[in-house]
Amino acid sequence: MVKLTIDNQTVEVPEGTTILEAAEKLNIYIPTLCHHESLTPYGGCRLCVVEVTQNGVTDLTSSCTYKVEEGLKVKTTTERVKRVRRLVLELLLVESPEAQIVQDLAMEMGVRRPERLKPRKDDLCILCGRCIRACREVVGVNAIDFAERGYSKKVAAPFYKSSPDCIACGVCFYICPTGAITMREVEKGEKARIPEGEEVTGPARIIYNWKVGLAMKRCKKCGEIIAPEFQLEYLRKKVNLPEDHFDICPSCRE
Amino acid sequence: MSSFEDARIVDEIIKKNEKSSLIVILQEVQSRYNYLPEQVLTLLSERLGVPLIKVFSLATFYRSFSLKPRGKNVIKVCLGTACHVKSGSNLLEKAKRDLNLSEEEVTTRDLGFTVEKVRCLGCCSLAPVVRINEDTYGSMTQGRLSKVLKNYL
Amino acid sequence: MSSLKDLERLKAEGMNSLFPSKTKIMVGMATCGLAAGAQEVWQNLHQEVKKRKIDVLVKKTGCIGLCQHEPLVDILKPGYPRITYDRMTPEKVGEVLDDLVKGKFKKAIMARIDQEEFLLDDTRTRYSKGKIPAYITSILPYKRLPFYKKQKRVALRNCGFLDPESIAEYVAKGGYFSLVQVLRGGKPEKVISQIKRSKLRGRGGAGFLAGVKWEVCRNADGDGKYLICNADEGDPGAYMDRSILEGDPHSIIEGMLIGGFAIGADQGYIYVREEYPLAIERLQIALTQAQEEDLLGKNILDSGFDFEIEICRGAGAFVCGEETALIQSIEGNWGEPKPRPPFPAVSGLWGKPTVINNVETWANIPVIIAKGAHWFNGLGTSRSKGTKVFSLVGKVNNIGLVEVPMGISLREIVYEIGGGIPNGRKFKAIQTGGPSGGCIPKNLIDLPVDFDELKKAGSIMGSGGMIVMDDRTCMVDVAKYFLSFLEDESCGKCVPCRVGIRRMREMLEDITSGRGREEDIDYLQQMAEAVKEGSLCGLGKTAPNPVLTTLHYFRDEYEAHIRGKRCPAGVCKPLIIYSIDPENCTGCGVCLRVCPQGAISGRKKKPHKIIPSKCIKCGACFEVCTFGAIVIT
Repeated sequence: MVKLTIDNQTVEVPEGTTILEAAEKLNIYIPTLCHHESLTPYGGCRLCVVEVTQNGVTDLTSSCTYKVEEGLKVKTTTERVKRVRRLVLELLLVESPEAQIVQDLAMEMGVRRPERLKPRKDDLCILCGRCIRACREVVGVNAIDFAERGYSKKVAAPFYKSSPDCIACGVCFYICPTGAITMREVEKGEKARIPEGEEVTGPARIIYNWKVGLAMKRCKKCGEIIAPEFQLEYLRKKVNLPEDHFDICPSCRE
Repeated sequence: MSSFEDARIVDEIIKKNEKSSLIVILQEVQSRYNYLPEQVLTLLSERLGVPLIKVFSLATFYRSFSLKPRGKNVIKVCLGTACHVKSGSNLLEKAKRDLNLSEEEVTTRDLGFTVEKVRCLGCCSLAPVVRINEDTYGSMTQGRLSKVLKNYL
Repeated sequence: MSSLKDLERLKAEGMNSLFPSKTKIMVGMATCGLAAGAQEVWQNLHQEVKKRKIDVLVKKTGCIGLCQHEPLVDILKPGYPRITYDRMTPEKVGEVLDDLVKGKFKKAIMARIDQEEFLLDDTRTRYSKGKIPAYITSILPYKRLPFYKKQKRVALRNCGFLDPESIAEYVAKGGYFSLVQVLRGGKPEKVISQIKRSKLRGRGGAGFLAGVKWEVCRNADGDGKYLICNADEGDPGAYMDRSILEGDPHSIIEGMLIGGFAIGADQGYIYVREEYPLAIERLQIALTQAQEEDLLGKNILDSGFDFEIEICRGAGAFVCGEETALIQSIEGNWGEPKPRPPFPAVSGLWGKPTVINNVETWANIPVIIAKGAHWFNGLGTSRSKGTKVFSLVGKVNNIGLVEVPMGISLREIVYEIGGGIPNGRKFKAIQTGGPSGGCIPKNLIDLPVDFDELKKAGSIMGSGGMIVMDDRTCMVDVAKYFLSFLEDESCGKCVPCRVGIRRMREMLEDITSGRGREEDIDYLQQMAEAVKEGSLCGLGKTAPNPVLTTLHYFRDEYEAHIRGKRCPAGVCKPLIIYSIDPENCTGCGVCLRVCPQGAISGRKKKPHKIIPSKCIKCGACFEVCTFGAIVIT
């Protein structure tokens, strides 16, 4: 167990705990954006920065990535910390002015969009990387990742074309904090066009960002989506299951 | 190049660089093809069992890689600090003007030349510097650049 | 299996090579020399030697530092001091050889070198024995050239003095004997203690105590440790590492061998930027030679110590000079820095304890072992020991590579070593530390150069780039230049760096185009400070330094651009006008012919005129006018 102080309050936590997690134990609120409890920490948005002092040296660090140390002193709302948080929100307001979560966080901290800087148009993506991490760590598919670097960095599928590995599970859509990913359920019999691709007939799901549209198998009982048809067909043939095996979803089968 | 030929080259490169990182393999592909063709990267991903997006991601992060075909002659105009202070950017503009390239274009239509900016070639004492293929030219002037370019036509 | 006897054999071979019984002609063949035309000189030299049927040795050598005078050709005739010809051309080669045959050295000679110095064992060997002809003693000894007077060559000890492709010559100059000493002693902890006592600070930029880093790594848990030489040298304007790699590659190999023994690593990597093809080639040759002599591999010098070195090529990313990003790159990922802790010395390459040091740091190691920590402490200041190599470039007379003891003043570097500002212009500022550094103004010119003093002034030592700026350098343009560079090189992971640098650069574009606003100066200051605090890695944390130092020391220039919509230095294109001074114009028409836009008009022998609406300010006319009639205001 490791003992440390956060905002003058002591807490004891198991080794390997991050400052963010330790703060939660004390009910101390630290704002985050790129962080998600089911994913490995990224440390990219810098919103969760805190001041840490160890061995007489004080520095700013992201609380989501820093693993606690014995005797660590943490301060979560110093002037330095507030300055960085204000910068991050100002910059994100200019980059993605329509992102609701950014607006909410900014309002919470009394930050306004700086007029001096020209806002970017039509781009909700704040490059938090949650979709990529979810795709890689939770789903294990590796369909998308960052491309380019610096200001031109973007989340993309290979060659900006239709992703060959995406299984349209939708996790990226659900985990995106700003709604930068557009997904559409196509109803049975309905026709819709995949961006830069063919037409697909429902039941299907289209994820516009990765230019993917897949026919999805729906549960005959409850109507929920089970998985893309092509995947289930592949599995069914491989394991030699009956033709109607995947007509009912796992929860209805119980 | 046929896809059969590509497959042979890819397998050769992978065999030669068994223990090397993906970046080294991409560097070999680039030296063979003078850029990174999409179909070759796709082949690499299949043969190495590496997700295609990872290959693409690496190829777009590092500036020495080009996903578009490059010219037979690659002109690198140095824009390091010493070269900048000696008007290196004027040289870059002159190269582009001479080769009829717009601001966004880097390669001539006939794939004869590609103009790139580099920072830095480490020849700061002879700023401004231009490198064409393996030849490095110091104390370059706009007039001399035009003359030198003719040697590569 | 190599032994001391083999080294002694190599040493003898090397000594014969350094002091041959035949005349030796050395040509500076580092990238600078080649860029100045050394390849043609080399080829012509071989041809002319053949034509005259003279029996001479022709060898390559590295950069002796006076890069602007390249190509340099040295003649070492047995019994005579070594003499250096500068600015050699293929045409002059024949005449020089004729002089050599006749025994006279008529052609203009830059300097002479009387003795070969052996830094590692403090000996000197004179080239000449007995009386030297008067016309040779009239040539200035190179150490009296203002450029060399105050230099002390430690890391650069062999550059320009040996053939970098000869391991024998390296051994003759004391090379690999430090390794012998270390392996014989058999105690890694002693080596670490010596490096600690020397107080050697990393020469790559951060200036962290090398000995402490080695100790942390040695004591860290982990089976399998690694050593890395950071030869990415991304700072534009800096080429110290390139010169050492091209001129004395074995010094790095030896340094790494000693380091590997000290921390308990058996594998080393040298990460070289791909823009240095000659450095990579020379390193590969040196590695092969070291392997052939069993100085790399298993059971080196019968000590039980194994060590291998591999070269990794960069792929065009400045951020990969940052140690955690460099590690990512070697692992085959993209160069995204990782938060520290954990530090690489504890968890680095493949998660194992790793020591990363810069080229120049490694080059110092064999010297410290040979001459002792106490000797090293005798150079430099109290907290910055030893010497530092700087690339002195920009608007200065003697452009080149200099190595000086820490504590020397900027004034001495710029005016004594550098020879002052050319073309009658005035010194304005000196930029140190590359894009992570800052601009130091005229009134601080007596600042002693050391890690802490530079930091106090708002800059950093960095890797050693020193760019001299005169009154025709616009400081706002300099800040914009560095921001553009870093914008291009940012990995893009964190918001402050990715967006902050871009937005600051956009504001500087506005300011240098006449669209700046009154509030911009304060806003820039605020943003710069916050980006410095909030960024994840060193790139973002130091990116605001050029902006902050220029705002601090050259606020008046910002104000001129914003309020007056002027660029006092005459650099920012939207704010300057090219015109022709009718008093100086002779109407020769050269500018008219060279103008790509047809913006110049005039009749023969009558003063010409530039049409402002057509002028794109490309500078072509300025380049060709020999009458100084083109005026930029």
